[in-house]
Amino acid sequence: MTEAILQRIANGDGQAVQDCLNKYGGLVWSIARKMLRNSDDAEDAVQEIFVDIWKNAERFDAEKSSETTFIAMIARRRLIDKIRYSTRRISADSLDDVLLEPFTRADKAMQTSIEAEEAAKAMRALKPEQQQVLRLSIVQGMSHQEISNATGMPLGTVKTHVRRGLLHVREVLGLGGSHYAQEVSV
Amino acid sequence: MTEEQRELFFDLLAKKAVYGLDETDDNQLAEFDRGLVDAEFCSLEATAAAIGLAGISEIEPLPEHLRAQILKNAPFVEGIREDGQAKIYTSDDVFGDKRSSWFGWLGWATAAAACVALGVNIWFTRIQPTEQVKNQNPPEAQQSLTERQKHDQLLTAGSAIKANWAAGNVKEIAAVTGDIIWSDEKQTGYMLFRGLPVNDAATCYQLWIFDKNQKKETPIDGGVFRVTSDGEIVVPITAKLKANSPYLFAITIEKDGGVVVSERQKIAALAKVETQSS
Repeated sequence: MTEAILQRIANGDGQAVQDCLNKYGGLVWSIARKMLRNSDDAEDAVQEIFVDIWKNAERFDAEKSSETTFIAMIARRRLIDKIRYSTRRISADSLDDVLLEPFTRADKAMQTSIEAEEAAKAMRALKPEQQQVLRLSIVQGMSHQEISNATGMPLGTVKTHVRRGLLHVREVLGLGGSHYAQEVSV
Repeated sequence: MTEEQRELFFDLLAKKAVYGLDETDDNQLAEFDRGLVDAEFCSLEATAAAIGLAGISEIEPLPEHLRAQILKNAPFVEGIREDGQAKIYTSDDVFGDKRSSWFGWLGWATAAAACVALGVNIWFTRIQPTEQVKNQNPPEAQQSLTERQKHDQLLTAGSAIKANWAAGNVKEIAAVTGDIIWSDEKQTGYMLFRGLPVNDAATCYQLWIFDKNQKKETPIDGGVFRVTSDGEIVVPITAKLKANSPYLFAITIEKDGGVVVSERQKIAALAKVETQSS
């Protein structure tokens, strides 16, 4: 089995840094562009994300997640911080696009990781409004309040959809969780 | 924990995983058992990341200047060139020249990993030759260019089409990226790959060109090539027939030397033509 790029980075392999950029640069950039919707902000964020990746490479555990998912987690942490502490707001025009965008286009399914494929399948089993809320919050980086304003759903309903949807997908992915979660996910 | 507390607990964790918490929420979450919070949050965060990945329908290339900047900011990487540029590879590298040592400077103009339909049903069968492609004798200036430069030059020539590579049906080759540039007018083209694994001694890659003027069952053989080391590679296309309107390109893994009829069992990469450059 070949050594993961992140493990190679943790072991001080300089070439692995470039391999990491080759393999994940476009992915991180695309996640940032999707969540921030502004190229300048995305450029700053992507630089910071890769610094985070270099620093956290040794924490990667292939038993717990794929390398792709681990990198996406690091990217999301940084992007969530950026969004929360910025004045980014979605324009009315782009909001229409965001609301109308399907979760995965049938002819454009990405195979970025096994977990992503499984998550996509699990998402399709959710109610349409749950899918929409999860997509707007996770993929588009919208706050609960922004989603409520955009969709007209009560804030409490948005929270419930996020909670139940996320727990359902986690269960399908087999990513663990306690008995407490099972009691509230139905 | 009461049901109400459980709902609040998971509301807070879910919110933290998808959007982060403000100070009030954070304080509320701090009232719960720290060990339980950490255990639950970790898996919810991974779930959110997986959903986020699933929602990315198209991967855009990392801008070249940004890549160079990131490399500059990686202080523990030895020997980063000041210009951040990639080493340029030639077809000699790709076709197994033992002189090649091409790890290193991998990425300047990055390519896009396109989105290609899952489970594309491609049936590669016998090719029915209709018209042989004439060998073009490039001008001297062209001959002195590297394959990468020829690729870039063709891309900007105006008459070429471009499609981005995405994974095929081989699980081990899920991270292939790059693009393919083809000019009907010049009957020439180049494939740029990243993440295409090294062939073993018994196999090679083979390009198949699906053309609007050609039946699906009889794609054009675009030539065979071998990859001998990791990194970015640029491979010239050697189409055996004239291609006028390609709409899909596929790379299969075949026995060394290539085949006339592919069993299409191992599709390493696919590139669907979506836009015409102008």
